[in-house]
Amino acid sequence: MSYSRDQVKQITDKVLNMAKADAVEVRFSGGERSATRFANSSITANLIEHDQEVAVTVYYGQKTASATTHQFDDASLVRMIEQVQELAKRKPDNPELMQPVKGPQPYVEIDAVLPATANFGPAERAAMVKISTDICEKKGVLGAGYIPKLHWTDALANSHGLFGYFRYAEASFILTCRTPDQTGSGWAGTTGVKDIANINAAQLTEVAADKGLKSRKPRAIEPGNYTVILEPRPAARFLSLVLGALNARAAEEGRSFMSGKERGSTRVGEKVFGENVTLRSEIGNPILRQTPIGQDGLAAKSVTWIEKGVVKNLFYDRYWATRQKQEATGTQPGMSLVMEGGTATVDEMIKSTKRGLLVSFFWYIRGVDNQTLLNTGMTRDGLFLIENGEIVAPVQNFRWNESPAVGFNNITMLGRPVPMHTGEAYDNPGTALVPPMKIEDFTMTSISPAV
Amino acid sequence: MKRRDFVKTMGAVGVGLYASDLVADLLAQSPRQRVLESRFKGLSDIALGEAKRLGCSYADVRFTRNVSDAIGVRDRIVTGGGGFGGGGREESAGFGVRVIHSGVWGFASSPFVTEDEVKKIAAQATDVAKASAISKRFEVRLAPTDTYIDYWEVPVKVNPDTVTLDDKIAFLMKINEAALKQPDVMRVQSQIAFDFEWKYLATSEGSVIEQELWRTFPSFNVTARKGNQVKQRTFTVPPKTGGYEIALEGKMLENVERIAAEAAEHCTAPPVGVGLKDLVMTPSQAMLTIHEIVAHATELDRIVGYEANYAGTSFVKISDLGKMKYGSKLFNVTADRTIAGGMCTVGYDDDGVKSQEWPLVREGILVGLQTNRETAHYIGETHSRGCTFATSWRNYPFLRMPNVHVDAGPPGSPTPEEIIADTKDGVLIDGRGSYSIDQQRFNGQFGGDAFWEVKNGKRTRMVSDVTYNAITTDFWQNLDAISGKESWEMFGTTGDAKGQPVQINHPSHGSPWCRIRRIMVGAAYAG
Repeated sequence: MSYSRDQVKQITDKVLNMAKADAVEVRFSGGERSATRFANSSITANLIEHDQEVAVTVYYGQKTASATTHQFDDASLVRMIEQVQELAKRKPDNPELMQPVKGPQPYVEIDAVLPATANFGPAERAAMVKISTDICEKKGVLGAGYIPKLHWTDALANSHGLFGYFRYAEASFILTCRTPDQTGSGWAGTTGVKDIANINAAQLTEVAADKGLKSRKPRAIEPGNYTVILEPRPAARFLSLVLGALNARAAEEGRSFMSGKERGSTRVGEKVFGENVTLRSEIGNPILRQTPIGQDGLAAKSVTWIEKGVVKNLFYDRYWATRQKQEATGTQPGMSLVMEGGTATVDEMIKSTKRGLLVSFFWYIRGVDNQTLLNTGMTRDGLFLIENGEIVAPVQNFRWNESPAVGFNNITMLGRPVPMHTGEAYDNPGTALVPPMKIEDFTMTSISPAV
Repeated sequence: MKRRDFVKTMGAVGVGLYASDLVADLLAQSPRQRVLESRFKGLSDIALGEAKRLGCSYADVRFTRNVSDAIGVRDRIVTGGGGFGGGGREESAGFGVRVIHSGVWGFASSPFVTEDEVKKIAAQATDVAKASAISKRFEVRLAPTDTYIDYWEVPVKVNPDTVTLDDKIAFLMKINEAALKQPDVMRVQSQIAFDFEWKYLATSEGSVIEQELWRTFPSFNVTARKGNQVKQRTFTVPPKTGGYEIALEGKMLENVERIAAEAAEHCTAPPVGVGLKDLVMTPSQAMLTIHEIVAHATELDRIVGYEANYAGTSFVKISDLGKMKYGSKLFNVTADRTIAGGMCTVGYDDDGVKSQEWPLVREGILVGLQTNRETAHYIGETHSRGCTFATSWRNYPFLRMPNVHVDAGPPGSPTPEEIIADTKDGVLIDGRGSYSIDQQRFNGQFGGDAFWEVKNGKRTRMVSDVTYNAITTDFWQNLDAISGKESWEMFGTTGDAKGQPVQINHPSHGSPWCRIRRIMVGAAYAG
């Protein structure tokens, strides 16, 4: 199911005309979420989910309330609006409430729907599974994978004349290859791909299968501090730990890693990471092709968060910006995220390493200490010991405890950024351009024989 | 009260569950408890008839209506809260059709509940299954089940929708006011989250089952600052199936002063250091450890590889059943979808299998696993344990954990006070904190919400920087004391994520107080 700009405008106009309040905001989302899952080299789930939703927010002075419906007939919309109007009037004033953004916004034009991706159906996905599992069979591994496809529309309109519309189609291919004796496992994948011609299932299967085979019967080595080479997937997960710290309010209230020494101050202008760490939101990036609709419908603009290790900008929500007499940041930190890379290949990183670890995947990362960004997590699906510039053996997985505040000061090599999801799951937008990276003195705390 | 009258009443007092869209209309027009006279019976017949016409060997259709409704008050400002959904009120209704054709599953779902759409989606699910057959290497095998025509509901004393918004805000505001009076408190958030689930399942084998559930989860959280240290402390009322009475009976206000004082004390508490300590866990702390390294590890779909690409597999092998020493003799674990108040308690699972209670671990030995119709055959069982669940109409049903409990000790077991009095060098941990576990559920690292040093049988002072490392079987082998049923409590989690696309489950995990001997604490902070 696909929603054109005109169709969505008709829906949002209809709701705006129905709702009577000081101000009204309408959010639309809808489309198709499809996916094919396989395990033990056979499809276990293949599905198509259709959905559509309208969320209405009404404003009466400093009072507000929201409600949603998935049914767009007049009767359902009227009942939802009546419900939310009643609800808002019963609420106390919210002194932090911001009125809707005024007027049309200058959104960057982004073409994010390629026909081949929009029409990527269950039969095409099943054929991709067959390509992959045939290779798995030939190599003697078991494939477990996921091919999600999202053809989705998000829109935001309000009674002050704002209308933002963004439709996109994207897909991913994510694969784990395990050996039948359950002693080896390898991962490969690509995410948030706007042009499915860029998904090479055969090549990714070769990588995951080879990793699985090479990782068989890993040996235990001592925990401790290691040089690590993070491939793009673990690098993306490690990078994601920085994003939450970019909130200006938490920093100025003293609750964050970005809080300055004086109460109310931040670390903007301070060098917190190494010289080689630059992080930007690049709205309109031609590979990512992600939404230009920012906070509350503000037009998202490109923002440099970290430049050569120095904090350049924090995210100000509209309320906090007003209170602190700052400009609101339209762009949320995870939007169209690009970490600047370098020219090194992973092979070159391996060759330059005296003793270290090649990491294929990070799993189950959770915060341990918010103010220092200390996090813990596991390695998974292919961990290899490097000695004197060569991979010498598969090793058992490690639990790590590390902070990007330390790790991003110890990056010694960076590769070319590639699209990779920054989240634990792959279902929603969240892909960034992330380079592989070599980090010194990464703290591995304990061993797990888990494969 | 008739459903139609109920709708009118709801409209008068607040936000009506049944009064917001066309699906709700169909529901309101259907007589309560008479499932074969429901408006959804005719729609089900269309879906199942179409699937049969297209040659499916099995089909089911599931209509659901889901409402998550959360309200919070942060620093005297009314917010959307959080909990079962993303905060605020979210309503969703629709249906999903699941079929087996050519030995493979197909699934499609839609929010448009019309006869034409039901027929179309049944055909689409069949097309998906047919398309999938080209990469099939094994066929779906369903364990048999009895068929049921039944209505089941959670007992609710106070329907949350009959409580006005004003009353809910006033209840939460009192907690805000009390907390903000406490010295050192810089932030407070109190909230109640509600989750309503109605579902109507019809299968091609003849089951027609309608179920209604409410879940309620109240809590509050304070943030204190002393010097440059900021710490949070959370008070959680055990979340349960049931209504607003869970909030009213939760003793939130009575605990504000204590929780605020503990948050402040935590700011200046010394680090625990690194080393081996005896760990005394309250039920609210043990909940998440049970969830992560017992409940997940005993899901049979993980064990046979279905989750290898995301949630992971398990260190448990099928051949371990009846043999593996999972814990000490004191360690008994029970899976249970029937216990009153359990958030996973239902009448029937989403395969239409009647809910049940069964042992997972007895006297430390692994004796059972979680199964559904699709997986039971892997361990040679002839019937499903009833663990299939889908978050909503939109999602495909698959194996999800039930409520999983560590059983209380027998009569004569020590009280919590006696466990502390018997501990020479330990740490007492309350509430949930940081948690991370490997993909086979063997190496876990856990934190908590508040920690106290236990020295020579006495709880002395709060300590900070506490994490502990759990190698699953070693950890439970070191279980050397559990309290009795008087101190057994059932906490739970609203965010159990699994599957692709990710779906959310809400299990409860009951536990007595537990003591684990000689566990490594504080290692996370040693780097």
